[in-house]
Amino acid sequence: MATVSERVKTVTARVLAMDPGQIKPEQNFAADLGAESIQSVELVAMFEEEFGIEMDEDAALSVQTVGGAVEFITRVCKEQGVDVEE
Amino acid sequence: MTAAKKSHPLVAVAEPNLLEETFLHDLPPLIRFDGPIVESIDGAMVQFDPASVQQRDIFITDTTFRDGQQARPPYTTEQMVHIYDLMARLGGPKGVVRQTEFFLYTRNDREALDRCRALGHEFPECTGWIRAEKGDFRLVKEARLSETGMLTSCSDYHIFHKLKMDRKQAMEKYCAVVDAALAAGVRPRCHLEDVTRADIDGFVLPFVERLLEMSEQVPEPLKAKVRLCDTMGFGISYPGVSLPRSIPKLIYKLNRELGMPSSRLEWHGHNDFHKVLINGATAWLYGCDALNATLFGYGERTGNPPLEGAVFEYIALKGDLCGIDTTVITELAEYMRSIGFPIPDNYPFVGKHFNTTRAGIHAGGLRQDERIYNIFDTAKLLGRPPRVAITDKSGTDGVVVWVNEYLGLTDEQRVNKMKIHKLARWVLDQYEKAGRLTAISDEEMEAKTRELLPELWTKYKSGQGKE
Repeated sequence: MATVSERVKTVTARVLAMDPGQIKPEQNFAADLGAESIQSVELVAMFEEEFGIEMDEDAALSVQTVGGAVEFITRVCKEQGVDVEE
Repeated sequence: MTAAKKSHPLVAVAEPNLLEETFLHDLPPLIRFDGPIVESIDGAMVQFDPASVQQRDIFITDTTFRDGQQARPPYTTEQMVHIYDLMARLGGPKGVVRQTEFFLYTRNDREALDRCRALGHEFPECTGWIRAEKGDFRLVKEARLSETGMLTSCSDYHIFHKLKMDRKQAMEKYCAVVDAALAAGVRPRCHLEDVTRADIDGFVLPFVERLLEMSEQVPEPLKAKVRLCDTMGFGISYPGVSLPRSIPKLIYKLNRELGMPSSRLEWHGHNDFHKVLINGATAWLYGCDALNATLFGYGERTGNPPLEGAVFEYIALKGDLCGIDTTVITELAEYMRSIGFPIPDNYPFVGKHFNTTRAGIHAGGLRQDERIYNIFDTAKLLGRPPRVAITDKSGTDGVVVWVNEYLGLTDEQRVNKMKIHKLARWVLDQYEKAGRLTAISDEEMEAKTRELLPELWTKYKSGQGKE
């Protein structure tokens, strides 16, 4: 099974229409990857779908970096009893 | 500007200060006063106590069927009766909407008056309106009215150039009709036409003094009233303005210098300079008990004080609904639209979009706390919850507010941005990809919600999940 980090990069690449290989943990979704406001919402919605979880809107949208998203999603998966590969 | 001399340190608080003693939300924001208003009149500093309106019996009079009707095709009798009935409900049992006036010149005028009176409402009392002609006074007697307005023009523009008289002739003519009214047991209400362009010392005060003298001999219910008619909208509310344009000074002269009681003073304004409602409220504060208004401000040229605006001003000054049913304002607007009366979309309190926001950032505020961007509880007071209109500026916040509001979702049912992202993307693409330049209608949004959010639609719009 792919790791959380790999799955986050795959979803991010699909939503932002870019190569997954270009995406790095320290990158900021808006400043570095060019995510617009609606794309941030789409990213969160796609993460929820990918991992089968429900995220708090304000908390999820306040995550700024790819690495931050990996940490946040891993924590939510644990809280909601969803098994993931770290 | 001089340098600041008083220090204002930041007051850090743990809880927000929402100033709820003024912004109650379930009432319009209250108008609170810190102390007296001071006006320089004839070299003396005169004080007015604006807070006295809370104790005074101020009220609204209506001229929708007279001045309002001068600006539009005539209403049918059925329309007038329905509007009158709604106005009675609006003003409530205490008669906040105290009187309404009718033309008396045609059979239709009389029929409308008779049918409105036949409804049996105590308020608004039906009164008449005639020219200051003895011949016209016959109409009042035939209609068995206890009060009538009469046109008593008082500027030299009117006396000399319209009536082709001099001041003495005008005053004698007016007083003769007032005499006839008093003799017939009908209270005269003298409409001082064009008073804000009149010679106050040379004509207005002598005429009102004469009215007071004539009224000394008759019982209270017959004593002459005075309507101050700001016919061209020249009146000014600010302190310090000279007569004849100063509303404070006009009222002071009649009320406190001549002794015409507040209960017999009325303000009638026009909106030629966008001052109409504030001028009316100013008249209330300085000593006129009656504010004359028309529904939705519709009247000669630019119109009169809007009655629904006066109602909210009244509540804000009194701090209480006083028996007023504000939801009738929405009913009146819907009725007026149904009979072909146009109301601009951005018109306060009743326009289609009066509480609709288009900016996404405002919609975001609405989502968090309605009070941030809604003037008061418009759902409670007007049956109109705040809305968002969907455009390129709406953002996902706007779309999520629209979905929650349109599907009627409350509390736990409300969806977040992630649940509606497909719809938000469609909206954005309409402008960014399809080059759209118009707002998206509710009908289009509904169709797209069905298509893109079928689970939500089925769950809530079909009635399932509703509590």
